[in-house]
Amino acid sequence: MHDIHTAVTDIAEAALDPSAALDFVSDPRFGGITTFIGRVRVHNLGRSVTGVSYDLFRPLALRTFQTIGERAEAEVGGPLKLYIAHAQGRLAIGDLAVIVAAGTPHRDEAFRACRLAIEAVKHEAPIWKQEHYVDGDSAWSEGCSLCEEHRDAERAALQPGSQHGHGH
Amino acid sequence: MKVHIELFGALREADDSGAIELDVPAQATIAMLREALQVYLAEHAPNIRAGLVQRSAFASDQAILQNDHTVPDSGRLAVLPPVSGG
Repeated sequence: MHDIHTAVTDIAEAALDPSAALDFVSDPRFGGITTFIGRVRVHNLGRSVTGVSYDLFRPLALRTFQTIGERAEAEVGGPLKLYIAHAQGRLAIGDLAVIVAAGTPHRDEAFRACRLAIEAVKHEAPIWKQEHYVDGDSAWSEGCSLCEEHRDAERAALQPGSQHGHGH
Repeated sequence: MKVHIELFGALREADDSGAIELDVPAQATIAMLREALQVYLAEHAPNIRAGLVQRSAFASDQAILQNDHTVPDSGRLAVLPPVSGG
């Protein structure tokens, strides 16, 4: 249990901290550390963005992060430390939205665990992004359905060879 | 029974308080609650895109509840539109 750290950080209280993530996954056994950092970018789908707001269902988000971590442990099949943290609240351009870090004995497992975790966070965790635009308009991003019936329908609609139909 | 439904993402726009209450029969399934929510939104929040509730999941604090699941005795749920974290 102590090899997986999960957090939801209210941006009004603190920013996400990559050095804390690196500290957590560091271990004398580990020669490989990978990190993914997601930041707020200035354009999306051709519109100029001034910032985003993240809404989370915190208890289920934390539980989902933990489940994702346990899945990464099973996938790697050896020693792993994994850190998953997501921001909540209003973020400006360049602010950190998400950090995933993985520490393992060698690089291959570290890359695999980090990739598995960030993809699962994006597609499975109860988190919603609202974009704010320069013209004052705001919009919630299109996302992935968590409803099994709809997930199955979305999978069936995908072209062969395509893993995912959305641009996120 | 009264069911308290916490709103997230685009569905927050259904009620400024962040939650709504619906009346459903005892032992109602999630599928029945989904129907009731669609009817409620069509009347009270017509700006919300039709079809969003079909793509949304219902959940307790611990897990997603599928359509054949009954509404928890606590009468407290969250409705989760399609997710877009990261």
